[in-house]
Amino acid sequence: MAIEDIFEAVLTFNKVAVAEGVKAELDAGTEIDSILNEALIGALDVVGKKFSEGEMFVPEMLQAAKAMKAGLEVLKPYLRSESVASKGTVIIGTVKGDQHDIGKNLVAMMIEGAGFEVVDMGVNVDADRFVKAVSEHNAGVLCLSALLTTTMPAMENAVAVIKKSGLAVKTIIGGAPVTVTFADQVGADGYSDDAPSAVELVRKLMAT
Amino acid sequence: MNRAIINFDQKILDTIHKHSLELLHDTGIRFPNEKALGIFKKHGFRTDGEMVFFEEKDIRKTMEAVPSAFSIKARNPEKSIRIGEDNYVMAPGYGPPFIIEPSGEKRDATMTDVEKFCKLVQTSKYLDFNSSIVVQPNDVPVETAHLDILLATMILTDKPIMGSSVSETAARDSLKLAEIIWDNTDEPVMISLVDSLSPLQYASEMIDSIMVFAQAGQPLIIHSACTLGASGPITVAGSLVISNATTLAGICLANLVNPGTPVVYGLGGTPMEMKTGGYINASPEDAKHIAIVTAMGRYYNIPCRSQGALNESFCLDYQAGMESAVMLTTAALSGVHLSLHACGTYGSMVAMSYEKFIADEDLCGAMKKLMKPVEFTDDAFAMDLIRELGTSGNYLMEMHTMKRCRDEFFIPDLSIRAMHNKWLEMEPRDITQRAGKLLEKRLAEYEKPDIDPDVEKRLVQYVNKRKKV
Repeated sequence: MAIEDIFEAVLTFNKVAVAEGVKAELDAGTEIDSILNEALIGALDVVGKKFSEGEMFVPEMLQAAKAMKAGLEVLKPYLRSESVASKGTVIIGTVKGDQHDIGKNLVAMMIEGAGFEVVDMGVNVDADRFVKAVSEHNAGVLCLSALLTTTMPAMENAVAVIKKSGLAVKTIIGGAPVTVTFADQVGADGYSDDAPSAVELVRKLMAT
Repeated sequence: MNRAIINFDQKILDTIHKHSLELLHDTGIRFPNEKALGIFKKHGFRTDGEMVFFEEKDIRKTMEAVPSAFSIKARNPEKSIRIGEDNYVMAPGYGPPFIIEPSGEKRDATMTDVEKFCKLVQTSKYLDFNSSIVVQPNDVPVETAHLDILLATMILTDKPIMGSSVSETAARDSLKLAEIIWDNTDEPVMISLVDSLSPLQYASEMIDSIMVFAQAGQPLIIHSACTLGASGPITVAGSLVISNATTLAGICLANLVNPGTPVVYGLGGTPMEMKTGGYINASPEDAKHIAIVTAMGRYYNIPCRSQGALNESFCLDYQAGMESAVMLTTAALSGVHLSLHACGTYGSMVAMSYEKFIADEDLCGAMKKLMKPVEFTDDAFAMDLIRELGTSGNYLMEMHTMKRCRDEFFIPDLSIRAMHNKWLEMEPRDITQRAGKLLEKRLAEYEKPDIDPDVEKRLVQYVNKRKKV
């Protein structure tokens, strides 16, 4: 097993092979950093690219992300001791009053696949719980989702409460009724149309 | 009479029902609402936390109690409707927060748009009632938007209305406003839409709406839909079972609150776009759902609903027409009783368009005409006339033709039926611009229907008072 095999196993959704490959590389003394970045995150980058080009379908991308995570699990105990820096933590959830989570789950999975720590708060999350989570996890980005027009005010409220809290977190919003105009109006730091651009947005905001 | 052209093997329908009962019994349906849970418990249903479990006898008793047809009174009695049997009623888009303009620009919908759509519904030859969220207006507070929409619909149209089901308060407001018009709500005077969540659960505010409207004896459309491959299995069969079980559980609650509550049964199933994770409304898979849902509606002997002229396009192009026609034609041929979203939507119901509304009305008219049974009376056979004219063939000269020439055929308002040279000379020739001209004419010709000034005043007073609270 080599780095390329792990990479290939992610792209063919083979969880077992990814986990075994990572273990073999660890035993062989390969650098943690290169297993993480070249094999796992590198493969997910290709997955993201293929998805954006319409070549890879959503369920395939999710299985690839699962396979990548299986490798990450094996790697995790070593990540701390080797002090490989995490790319940062992202909090995500659907706002108060809204029970819809398919789009939110997709975005969460893709952000995780890009190498960020993701804390998924689920659905119907009130503003105070977001504030608490951001502060607890020292998150860099908070992603808010809504599908219903009737819960957009809850989204506005969550953004306002976060701002008021003074936490240095960037807030981004998305969902079918949400627009870039709405994002500007409520003072969110970003908006994206779909999951791949949400990942790009998180990358950009985390870098600033 | 069985109006459906598409039929299914009884064994398939039995299997869908059987699997639905298995889910209802073993997995249960989530009702996160204390009051509803209390009602289920009081009637001896097995519950576990927020999960409610159903026995076959509960469902059988429910479905036997639901009427196979019912009427809804309109403010203008001539426009009252009957849902079920051989009737086919239609209402426009429900829920879009945006308007798409002919330029392609997408903008927020406002109360002015709500009022304009009310006027179009009132002057429509084919739409039977307005929807309770024809668009979601962005220029009024969301907490009281239902009051503004109900008031506009009640004053600007005299067709039947839809109650608002966005919250328990909205449902109660709908009833209070109706009481101002009719003094009481003893008879059905509105119909309201309840959508489940998928899979296998209801949001608390929808449960409240079921209970409030059922208590008042007002009809409900209880609808459950999966996104295939996301909130339900990727297969039509699997998602149907989930939606059917969920809808049956909702109908059961309505019936426990008030036995015999009129219900329109609805199931949907829209595929997830597997390349992007987007939501697709217009598809052969959704059309298949409509065909099976109507068969299940007949199986349970209750009226059923479908989606309407849905499409994924953002302009009045071939795609918009093709997809809308596939969806609405399937609904009509399958024998559906009520089509919501029959006019005006673009892009998976994300937006309404005035021009699409005008174009869809032609489609609605064509479907209503298609589903009207062929006349087989003596006058329609015209045997004497056929014998008399023999091979001479000049029927155009006959009174029989003259008497029927205005009503016998469907006459579209927007579609072109002209010679090529006339089409070349047409100004404007573009379909969107022609729809725009019809739109202007319709709005200019609109006349506010008669209303008792005292009733109008009390409706306005109620809304103003409620908005102050």
